[in-house]
Amino acid sequence: MASQLAFKSRISSTSALAKIFNAQEMIASSHIAKARKVALDAKPYSDAIFEAVQALVAHADDINHPIVKKNEKNPRVAVLALTADRGMAGAYTSSIIRETETLLDKLDKSGRQPELFVYGRRGVSYYKYRNRDIARTWEGDTDKPGVERAEEIAGTLLDAYMAPADKGGVSELYIVFTEFVNMVVQKVRVLRMLPLELVPADDAAGAVDSPRPDEAEHGMTPIYRFEPSADKVLDSVLPKYIQGRIHECLLTAAASETASRQNAMHTATDNANSLIDELTRKLNASRQASITQELTEIIGSADALNKEEE
Amino acid sequence: MAGSSKSTFEVTIVASDRPVWTGRARSASVPATEGAMGILPDHEPVLVLTSKGTLSVVGEDGRHTDFPVSEGFVSFDSNKLTVAVDRCDGGESQADR
Repeated sequence: MASQLAFKSRISSTSALAKIFNAQEMIASSHIAKARKVALDAKPYSDAIFEAVQALVAHADDINHPIVKKNEKNPRVAVLALTADRGMAGAYTSSIIRETETLLDKLDKSGRQPELFVYGRRGVSYYKYRNRDIARTWEGDTDKPGVERAEEIAGTLLDAYMAPADKGGVSELYIVFTEFVNMVVQKVRVLRMLPLELVPADDAAGAVDSPRPDEAEHGMTPIYRFEPSADKVLDSVLPKYIQGRIHECLLTAAASETASRQNAMHTATDNANSLIDELTRKLNASRQASITQELTEIIGSADALNKEEE
Repeated sequence: MAGSSKSTFEVTIVASDRPVWTGRARSASVPATEGAMGILPDHEPVLVLTSKGTLSVVGEDGRHTDFPVSEGFVSFDSNKLTVAVDRCDGGESQADR
């Protein structure tokens, strides 16, 4: 059995760690309410844009906008992975990376050339360390991405998408992000953002796994009048729609990141506390053992002295 | 107010980062790209691009509310006006105007 001193020092170091974990957990839980609110706040806007896009699709029989039309010939596709800036969020970044790798493999096998875009310091350092080609990276603010950040990312990706194939353009855009289901459940999702599948997809060909609940049967869409013209409205609304969706992804990812960080830190605090309990029990046992031993020695020697006197 | 649902319509104003205002209105004026446009209940369904300007809403109680908005679009159908703009300042202190 280890010495009492060793137990005491382990207990004190573990409780110092427990304090840090606890503080981290509290920081995360104060952030999460905010992140969730921001994510929920942005939803009405993207819903409004989505409805407008639906109306446009219902109006025009054949939309020839490049955002909707698929350029089958270009094998290059873009993949955007949303990871975290900091660690201590459990399996948050590693699940994203695992899912991204699966997607990249799948795309490779189907004869396409994926280009990787990464957001978040952890993901960037993962791929840099492995010397992988990354088209573009963004770092910072993964736990509170603003509209400006969404504009920047959406701008870059739309530019890449709109560029001609011989100038490094891509024909598809996939986003790997973590969906915020609730405080304890966050799901990694792969979303095919571009080209948009606006019409009720006949067989969702090419879509890896893009469940969009809001794209379900939309009932009757009224016949709109467009001003100045349907084409101009389309030109202006579609990029906004893409940006809105990317922003939504960033925000749900941020809320998920904070939630996983809180969960991870909660588990770490619990583990540290149970470790402290266990160590304290061992310390007590070892102290009791040493007391018992001392007593036995004293009684033994007293008995021996008594016998000598008789 | 008999038939108040007929003489008013629902308004939802959303900016890209937050919902700004929701309520019922008697009329609204939107800064469309080709000149301001008034909206009354039972307007035909329209989808209009808007430019930077001021969106004014006459509420159910007859009070005017102005919202400075940036570029975006406005859609109106089945007596529901949806205003989606990139940015909208104000909106908090509108109630007491």
